[in-house]
Amino acid sequence: MDILAYIWLGIQAVFMGPEAFSILGISISITVMMVLAGFLFGILVGATPGLAGPFAMAISLPILISVFGYTPDALLPVMGFLIGIMKGATIGGAVPAILFNTPGTPDAFMTTLDGYPMAQKGQAKKALRVAHLSSASGDTFSDIVLFVCAPFLAIIVESYLDLPEKTGLLILSLSFIAAVIGGSAGKGLISIGLGLLAVYVGTGEDFYPRMSLGAEGLSRGFPITTAVLGVLIIGAVFKELEEIWRDSQSTKPVQTPTETGDQKLHWADVKRLSPIIARSAAIGTCIGALPGVGSTLAATLGYTVGRARHQRTKAADAPEFGEGAPEGVAATEAANSAVSGANLIPVLSLGIPGNAAAVFLILAAESIGGFNPGPAVFRFSPDVVNPELVIAFGIFTCMTIANIFNWTIGGVFMRSMGFMINIPKSLLLPAVLLLTLTAIYVQETRLEAIWFALGFGVLGYLMRVLTISPLPFVIAFILGRSLEQTARQAYSATGNDPFFLFNNPIALVFILMSVAVIILSGRKSKGAARE
Amino acid sequence: MFPKDTDVPEKSRSNLFIGLFCIAFALVLIFIWIPLDTKTGIVERARGKYVIGDALAPTVAAGFVLLGGLLLLMFERHAKLQPILSLSKIKFVASLIAVIIVGFGVMRFAGPIAVEVANMFRDDPMEYRLLRATPGWKHIGYIFGGMIIVSGIIAIVERKMSRRALMTGLAVVVILIAVFDLPFDDLLLPPNGDV
Repeated sequence: MDILAYIWLGIQAVFMGPEAFSILGISISITVMMVLAGFLFGILVGATPGLAGPFAMAISLPILISVFGYTPDALLPVMGFLIGIMKGATIGGAVPAILFNTPGTPDAFMTTLDGYPMAQKGQAKKALRVAHLSSASGDTFSDIVLFVCAPFLAIIVESYLDLPEKTGLLILSLSFIAAVIGGSAGKGLISIGLGLLAVYVGTGEDFYPRMSLGAEGLSRGFPITTAVLGVLIIGAVFKELEEIWRDSQSTKPVQTPTETGDQKLHWADVKRLSPIIARSAAIGTCIGALPGVGSTLAATLGYTVGRARHQRTKAADAPEFGEGAPEGVAATEAANSAVSGANLIPVLSLGIPGNAAAVFLILAAESIGGFNPGPAVFRFSPDVVNPELVIAFGIFTCMTIANIFNWTIGGVFMRSMGFMINIPKSLLLPAVLLLTLTAIYVQETRLEAIWFALGFGVLGYLMRVLTISPLPFVIAFILGRSLEQTARQAYSATGNDPFFLFNNPIALVFILMSVAVIILSGRKSKGAARE
Repeated sequence: MFPKDTDVPEKSRSNLFIGLFCIAFALVLIFIWIPLDTKTGIVERARGKYVIGDALAPTVAAGFVLLGGLLLLMFERHAKLQPILSLSKIKFVASLIAVIIVGFGVMRFAGPIAVEVANMFRDDPMEYRLLRATPGWKHIGYIFGGMIIVSGIIAIVERKMSRRALMTGLAVVVILIAVFDLPFDDLLLPPNGDV
């Protein structure tokens, strides 16, 4: 089978899967409806300060698995819903950032710089339209790059990298993530180390479950949901609650901005904003393709580059960046939205999650089974159909459908979400906490899992307080077993060569790069400390 | 996910303490915990050839922690704006955990206690274990425990117990029962998988 046949099978898997309902005899598949539902839910969540896409993905996953079960047919509806959330939350985050100076999601922080001044000048709707146009453009561009690059990268990895090189690549990925997330290589390494330790408890090849302290509860290891939801979600809820408790900001009255003048986005505006959107989309896509480098950096870089161009080209009476320039909103929204698609390049081609949303997509794939993100997915077998490749193209189709929803109904739905600011975080977050704990219990059906999740939640909270990013912990937890298994296989395949990482040129390059990235990052931190 | 941290005082030396703690923890792992609590070493001889043992992976993990601690000491000990873990934060998160533990304690035992109370008025005694799939009985623990967790945390955060907190707690558990329990026969709400 050639590539076109696989693409066609992927499209068919989405549109001709189980039917949700039919209109005038035309069957509407359940996967399409799940993408739509996830997208609208994502906008709602993104527009709610205190929540973010990963929250919604975390609490939806057990419900989705209960609805669709653990069959291969469940993969596309579940993944479609999660992808919808990922994309919806990205544009939803701009709503409270523009209307109320409160970013709905962390990556929308830069949007407040020009979005809120625009709203104060009575241009709220126009700012939301600019944000939507830029976000949808950045996201679509990023997805196109993903569709083209992921298969090629995977094929290159499969063709040129053997077991020792793959072990080296995993070590390089972990080192890179440690060095770039959070801005402290030392704290990143600690986070990675703790994540690896957690996943190795109660596992191993020997009859005795290692590091279990002889305890029955630890001998089965920590379930992945308890570690991921505990550190990422429960820890974040604890931190947010503590901030509300400390600041007592939860009852502040919210002022809805008034609107004056023309709120429409004209063709002349689109033409003026296009170069800024294009640059930011390219920046966001490049940043997103690197595992661990988040959308906040992309938004910052997009904003900085956009500001430099704006200063050179702006009309004399046009506002500067930071004073309510539509170009500022466009620069940040295009960049942070362009991260989401490109972030799936390392996930689908290497099996390495780069951000929290990707973590939940991998978690969904692992929970349901039948799809293991990594280079083997893109094996174009000519004689026998590779079902994982069909799923991969099905996922690409879901992303395209989500983009179509984004362009058509996303803007209208987004602009109607301003009321979400009125839900007090002090009421919402305890509900999210109980929802998360319930979701963990229904998956694991033992109270032990709740205690594990709470323990990881406290760890996640402490990490946030001590400015240790919890994301490397989660990524290391997900990659830990794969790293050990690949190393064991590489050791055996090289005739028990203990120096297999150093006797192979490509693996050696990866290891040297790992060391270099840590040393350079450490020296940079030292330089920053001296300033 | 939530990078903002507003309380990072200038004079904190937390990087030094985190670094020292991590180095000590890693050394305990490498020289005490892993060797004593793992049956195979870093490399083992099995059937005449060497294979990687179960101790290697956790030792590498401990190596990451050790290296991270050393980097903090060497490069970031004097970094500006180091965070601080204040006693008030520890007390706050401890109070959240206490409410959650009490909530799950009530959740675990409320149903069986309700059955025992009902048995006092019945001739044929019932057993909670046999009722854990029966609507009403199976929800007792979740409703009371869930309400304690949600309303209790709202009360801590808002520094007062209010009717709004209680009503929110009740609304949340009712919604979650509607989401997780009513549509699915195969899902068990807490604590019904443990009783």
